[in-house]
Amino acid sequence: MGELKRTQLYDAHVKAGAKMVDFGGWEMPIQYPTGIIAEHMYTRHACSIFDVSHMGRLNVRGPERVKFLQHVLTNNVQALELNKAQYSIVPNEQGGAIDDAYVYCFEEDYFTVVVNAANTDVVLEHFNEQIKAFDATLENVSAQWAAIAVQGPESKNILQRIVGGDVQLTEPMRNELNTLTVPSMDNMVMRVAKTGYTGEPIGYEIYIKSEYAERMWDRLIEEGAKPAGLGARDTTRLEAGMPLHGHELGKDKDGKEIPIFAIPLAKFAVSFSDQKGDYIGRSSLKKQQEAFIRINNRDFTDCEALPRRMMPITLLGRGVMRAGCPVMKDGKEIGYVTSGTMVPYYVSEGKGLSTKITDQINRRSIGFCFIDSDVLNDEKVQVDIRGKLIDAVIPEYHMKNDAPPFTRVILYREDEEEVEAPKTQTHESAMKLISDALENHVWRQEECINMIPSEMSASKAVRMLQISDPCFRYAEHRKIASFYDEEVFYYQGTEFIGRVEEMLAQEMAKFLGCKEVETRVLSGQMSNTCVFSALVDFKNRLNRKVEPKRLGYILNNHIIKGGHLSAQPMGALKDFVAVDPVTEKKAVVNFPVCEADPYRIDVEKTKEVIDEYRPELIIFGKSMVLYKEPVKEISDFVKKMGYDTNIMYDMAHVLGLIGDYFQKPFEDGADIVTGSTHKTFFGPQRGVIGVNWDKSDLKYGLWETIQSRAFPGSTSNHHLGTQLALLMAAYEMNTFKDEYQKSIIKNAKSFAKSLADAGFQVEGDPSIGYTETHQVIVSVGYGTGPEIAQRLEDNNLICNYQATPYEEGFTASGALRLGVSEMTRFGFTEKEFAKVAELMADCALRCKDVKEEVKKLRSGFTVMKYCFDDSDMEKALEDFAVRLGL
Amino acid sequence: MNFPGELKYSKSHEWVKMIDDTTALVGLTDFAQQELGDLVFINLPEEGDEFDADEVFADVESVKAVSDVLLPAAGTIAEINEELLDEPQQINSDPYGAWLVKVEGITGFAELMDADAYEAYIETVEE
Repeated sequence: MGELKRTQLYDAHVKAGAKMVDFGGWEMPIQYPTGIIAEHMYTRHACSIFDVSHMGRLNVRGPERVKFLQHVLTNNVQALELNKAQYSIVPNEQGGAIDDAYVYCFEEDYFTVVVNAANTDVVLEHFNEQIKAFDATLENVSAQWAAIAVQGPESKNILQRIVGGDVQLTEPMRNELNTLTVPSMDNMVMRVAKTGYTGEPIGYEIYIKSEYAERMWDRLIEEGAKPAGLGARDTTRLEAGMPLHGHELGKDKDGKEIPIFAIPLAKFAVSFSDQKGDYIGRSSLKKQQEAFIRINNRDFTDCEALPRRMMPITLLGRGVMRAGCPVMKDGKEIGYVTSGTMVPYYVSEGKGLSTKITDQINRRSIGFCFIDSDVLNDEKVQVDIRGKLIDAVIPEYHMKNDAPPFTRVILYREDEEEVEAPKTQTHESAMKLISDALENHVWRQEECINMIPSEMSASKAVRMLQISDPCFRYAEHRKIASFYDEEVFYYQGTEFIGRVEEMLAQEMAKFLGCKEVETRVLSGQMSNTCVFSALVDFKNRLNRKVEPKRLGYILNNHIIKGGHLSAQPMGALKDFVAVDPVTEKKAVVNFPVCEADPYRIDVEKTKEVIDEYRPELIIFGKSMVLYKEPVKEISDFVKKMGYDTNIMYDMAHVLGLIGDYFQKPFEDGADIVTGSTHKTFFGPQRGVIGVNWDKSDLKYGLWETIQSRAFPGSTSNHHLGTQLALLMAAYEMNTFKDEYQKSIIKNAKSFAKSLADAGFQVEGDPSIGYTETHQVIVSVGYGTGPEIAQRLEDNNLICNYQATPYEEGFTASGALRLGVSEMTRFGFTEKEFAKVAELMADCALRCKDVKEEVKKLRSGFTVMKYCFDDSDMEKALEDFAVRLGL
Repeated sequence: MNFPGELKYSKSHEWVKMIDDTTALVGLTDFAQQELGDLVFINLPEEGDEFDADEVFADVESVKAVSDVLLPAAGTIAEINEELLDEPQQINSDPYGAWLVKVEGITGFAELMDADAYEAYIETVEE
């Protein structure tokens, strides 16, 4: 080999005292004077920077760039949108990997393929050969752009300080990209990718022109990052379970191709989409995939295409396994270690969300092994470490990163033996349950300030009706065409509840402002499931001899932008939404939001999205909701364009606000409204569906389908006690809504202002009083939401932590979500909410104990308002209570 | 780098500290620990094991590699430093405090150097 190659940052490494080694023909830092362990740990708790400028970066341009990449990569390039990245593999004909790669789409007119340094020449040669058949060009831009991986929980803050506070680095999810200019560095262009090789949930790879490399490196260090070398890059990637070409990909130790499906990531990295057509290695990969499916269903009859798999391995005995060490089971060699080392980790204490990562460092001996496909997770094996057999196990994974901002070490644990239930008398337990329940009731009803926006206390009448007789009964019924669509009940004794259900439908129709209402659904989520199921059924009603088609496209609010879980593919939509054959993803698009205010839907951009995707279903509604949804604007647009779409408004959170002070969904043009009856509405926990189609409308058939998906589709026992109680709640709402809704909006705006005055950063547009709903969102600092919400709870201030549109997920929540509805119902006015804001600031911002003051404030507000509290009702409820045995 | 005057050093970078004529503590030199990098694991012999001079009696592992350790004196292992089994990093932080084994009944030595000679030897190694 000739001269070693050097990156743009070579001088910086030498200056920092790095130990330089030959890595695939590059002279690279293996470690800095602090050492691999310190570098590994700094990545995990703060932020390390890795020089990755040695990685090959190849730009592919030209009219047939997609066709070319579909041919030479395993993933579906057509699924890659602008500003997204995708993991892929460069396959050979045998279904082995020439290399693995990341494909970036920073600009519409070209793709960047990032490959391993040691493989750049091989890939380049292969691509140059293959590209001849395509109208596309290939350019190696590695020397023009330096690449730095910025990884670890502090990485976002550090980069944010460099680019300036008000610029969003990227959207918060993994594989998002962005191109920025950096004002503090001559407005240089910086390309940012939310990607990495350390497993960190918060980590970026940045690309800058070579001449800025050293300046940027130094800036990152100034802001608190520390350099880390290839040693820590290897230990972090191994812990994260990421493959390395030459170990887990490429050729095995006997020189045979490692099948791509041997690595777990293949499931995401290999596509057989029609869009790809035939490509290099496709037929081998198809065989591997079939074997992969069999093996994962524990059918080991034919493992020929996939005789061995890459699995994580943890040493139980003492020692360190190295690549090449044989793995044994029952005295037989079943494979070998492909990567192995001892990695350090921070010891954790506690359980669940209150898990604390301590600063105590421990070590564990972990690796990857390539072993027979019939070996399952949790199986015990042995590793031959230089002649000694050491016990080991095949765990599911070594680490998880789904609880940002930190990675979470997963130590191998034997299943705990079942603890025998303590032998106490059942009667004793029953008595204890009563006293505990009473204590909880008094605490929440008399001592706490309840501000969870999705909760509401019910009036005495509602609570009593809930437990009165029909609550033990059944009342299945459905329309029967033979009887001119009369509702026919299946059981006797149901005349009363039948009447109640009819009156409830009338009251709810009056409230919602629509013609038809279904009230048998038990929750908001069930309301949505019922509607989605009906939409699928209605879509397929004219041809039932084939597999029913699912819905697609659907336009909804992204969960990170406040979208409701029950309108997400991971929630109630899961079984009802199609997979887009082009992108191979669920056929869901999200409302674009305003750049300056991500809580607000961008109406003009939404119109473009509708033009492009022609969604079958548009779902408005959020669980983090500050503003009115633009139902009217979008509905008018859809009508003007003549698009056949259903506009659904999931009003779970804002159902009780329907009216003059918020929105009237059907007047705005919604076709379907769903909701839950216990958030801003006054009822017990149930759901409701309303539609506004005439009997003569084609869509009236859809309404009938919705009814049949409620029963017998969703529930046969529709909880008659709460249904009865909901009728009382509906009477209360229809009687008191004007006063109640006016107070809610006034209180929310004034609470938001008080919180801002008390020192909180309140989200939303200050010019309209931050909010148009019952909700107020305050930012309390990235990742600190859970801790502060707990501190508030310890002081009887009950709210929930919330991820803002800028954050990755709920464990990284940096905000609190507050609602004024329940306390407004107990009589709180602007004055009391101003006091709550002060107490919250004392508690959350100044760590003061305010519990006694909270209890004192609450003690004056324990009587329910906006309900019938006249003496006749009082007397009637007293009599009722006696018969109920209360 | 530090090379205490009262110790003897082997060419394979172990140090020897004599306790009496036939008993000694053995460890790894400052140079050795720097070359190895962060140590994460150590294999030590059992008490009572007998070794010849320059025989492999232990191995140490850093994050990246494993290295054999040679016994600079022929004798019997009287004691091992059990603390190192859990905290091999002590060798990095305190190479001359973190002895590996105590050898007794010493019958001979490998080729040993004094501090000055070892320092000079290292310079030739570093070239």
